[in-house]
Amino acid sequence: MSREEALRKRARELLESKQVVMVVGHRAASTKGKAQPAFIAKPEDAESLIFDETCGQNLAGHLLKVKHLGKIAVVTKGCDSRSILVLLKEKQLDRAQLHILGVGCEGVKEDGKLSDSCITCEYPNPIVCDEMLGEPAPGDRLQTLNPKPQTGELTSDERWRELSEDVSRCIRCYACRQVCPNCYCPVCFVDASQPALVGKTTELSDNMVFHIMRALHMAGRCVECGSCARACPMGIDLMKFNRKAAQIVKERFNVVAGVKEDDAPALTVFDPNDKQEFIR
Amino acid sequence: MSTAEPHPQEAGSQEPEPKIVAFLCNWCSYAGADLAGISRIQYPASIRVIRVPCSGRVDPFHILKALQSGADGVLVSGCHPGDCHYLTGNYVARRRFAVLNDLLEFAGIDPGRVSFSWVSAAEGERFAEVVREVTEKVKALGPNRKLVKEPAS
Amino acid sequence: MTQRVITADGLAKLVTEWAKKGAVYAPVKAGSKDWTEFRRVTSLKETDFSRVNTKQSAKGLLFPQREVMLRFKDGKSEEPAAPEEQVILGIRPCDAAAIAFQAKFFTGQGQTDPYFKARLDRTTFIGFACNTPAETCFCTAVGGSPSGTRGLDLLLTDIGGKYLAEPVTDKGAALIADMPDPAIGDLERKLAEKCAEQMPQAIDTAALKRRLDSGFEHPVWDELNLACVNCGACTFLCPTCHCFDVTDEERKGRGARIRVWDSCQFCIYSQHASGHNPRQTARSRYRNRVMDKFKYTVDMVGELSCVGCGRCIIECPAGIDVRETVEVLTRQLPEAAEKK
Ligand code: SF4
Ligand code: SF4
Ligand code: SF4
Repeated sequence: MSREEALRKRARELLESKQVVMVVGHRAASTKGKAQPAFIAKPEDAESLIFDETCGQNLAGHLLKVKHLGKIAVVTKGCDSRSILVLLKEKQLDRAQLHILGVGCEGVKEDGKLSDSCITCEYPNPIVCDEMLGEPAPGDRLQTLNPKPQTGELTSDERWRELSEDVSRCIRCYACRQVCPNCYCPVCFVDASQPALVGKTTELSDNMVFHIMRALHMAGRCVECGSCARACPMGIDLMKFNRKAAQIVKERFNVVAGVKEDDAPALTVFDPNDKQEFIR
Repeated sequence: MSTAEPHPQEAGSQEPEPKIVAFLCNWCSYAGADLAGISRIQYPASIRVIRVPCSGRVDPFHILKALQSGADGVLVSGCHPGDCHYLTGNYVARRRFAVLNDLLEFAGIDPGRVSFSWVSAAEGERFAEVVREVTEKVKALGPNRKLVKEPAS
Repeated sequence: MTQRVITADGLAKLVTEWAKKGAVYAPVKAGSKDWTEFRRVTSLKETDFSRVNTKQSAKGLLFPQREVMLRFKDGKSEEPAAPEEQVILGIRPCDAAAIAFQAKFFTGQGQTDPYFKARLDRTTFIGFACNTPAETCFCTAVGGSPSGTRGLDLLLTDIGGKYLAEPVTDKGAALIADMPDPAIGDLERKLAEKCAEQMPQAIDTAALKRRLDSGFEHPVWDELNLACVNCGACTFLCPTCHCFDVTDEERKGRGARIRVWDSCQFCIYSQHASGHNPRQTARSRYRNRVMDKFKYTVDMVGELSCVGCGRCIIECPAGIDVRETVEVLTRQLPEAAEKK
């Protein structure tokens, strides 16, 4: 039985036996090479579930929309499971109300190419799950492909110019925010209006502040799933910021988001011995 | 928020001072600044003080907003670790500032535009020293042109 | 009006000439990115017409994402200078139709938006017919055509290294008045018609509208919206979406009143000053977008506001396809005639 068949079978069983009220997974979208989140409530609809290289959307965030319905089963690859862990720690999800259907991930593709975030992915298999469907993905497979992008030795001005070029294309559609499983604030900082925090214009200054603040809010929470970068219609490499934020958090506080069940989100706690070389 | 600031005059200087927004915590650094004033310690008239209850109150937004609004530099100063009036405000803030500090550097905002310090209520001289140092750094960098926003352009 | 054939050289000369008199915008390859976008050009060489549609539509050239409405200083205000004369070259028929729709919206409802109007009056639209539609194109389904002329001054059709030029307005005719007058054969016309044949059949938008009229509370919306993440990619890339927000920016007595695009998909869009938000849920926002396209604008200005460019299908991060949405709605919503 292929993994996809196993997935459909289990989804159907879980729904038929009323162990869950809904299975959240992926289905093929109408355009080639794209998938769409699927919310399966009827056992017979389980047939439309797929899992392949088009299933790039991190489903963890979608759980927040349907969690009120009852116990939900969710198709979960490595990065999805990390997001689920982050959401559990932030008390957005209840573990008892989740049935995690784990799948090993061979990486997702975007326009036929392995997505950037998947090249650097170190956790292609779910970190938490209730059952694995199919074989786990070889953990070291991706690392062999792993030329971590180098920022190189650029001067301040060069870095500013490089990022400006990217960021100035931003149209502030917030697709990056909306697809991010860990962006769930009822009022996002960009929407705050009393007082307004970030200017609403697409001037470079406003765009840059948006991107710096977004990265800051994701620090210690971003699981580097790459959903945001894939969602961005303007081809902005949001992973540049995300990777940097993750690197800072790892180097300074030795925390990697969503890989342990029992550590606290990095920016909600402190260690009296945190490095403070930048403080006079 | 209070903007009551000491008005130290740097005697004889022709150069216009850079504009530096200083977020000072009420319990330590603000009192330290006060002490510097009362003790008539000389330091550059470059800072515009915004008094905050705790360095933990300083959202990275405040810092970026200051730069967007035309500040040439920002100084955030609070109680020394362990001395926080609210026990741990500055510890939590320190993590946030660390990430902001590194992200700003990554984005190409020159190091030195945004500075952080711990100054206690008893350290009037240290406060003056920090302001001197920060002012020198910001002066050397020249006016802030990267994040500043010209509303009428 | 007389149709003419323009050679590539002829067009190149025209572009250079227009660029001397004003701004010329045309699709240009976007650096290392795999798409084209409207940029200011000075010669035909810089352009790239190989993609059917540009990443963003041409709407920003008439209705910029960020527009200064007025500047003020020390209590006195000043209006921005009148916009430049501009030629938009290579706009596809769907995008041109979308601007014609926007013109109706911005100038046809008893009020005139001076900013849009000022740009519209100074813009010449030179369209490019589509010889090969993209997989996501469906202009023919919503009343358009790959060689449609609505909103254009002049339509060019690529007939293999040469262009068939079909004036739509006097302004368009004047543009090519000095060109030699070669004979054109039926062959060239056929090329454009062939493209339309590959395209989807028209959908019965009137019937859909009737269904939507009474379908506001129908349970179909509960399922339809689930995949949607409520980002603004579709609305910002949509050539007909026209919502904006106005914001004042001020520093030391100097400032500007600026309008920026807004999107009905954003939570803050419909938030009242009291904090109440009539469209609090994702479901209601998704419904609003679909209703707006196929019902509300029909009620307001008498036509639907989807031109079939397919941008929302291409860019939707959740893989939602408006054609599918329309199909589901048509199938599931009852006809209005059967009263509840
Ligand atoms: S980051 Fe990529 S490879 Fe890793 S689990 Fe997520 S989708 Fe799969
Ligand atoms: S998805 Fe891309 S264009 Fe949209 S707000 Fe995010 S970075 Fe900007
Ligand atoms: S910020 Fe981007 S990469 Fe990080 S968790 Fe959110 S969607 Fe994934």
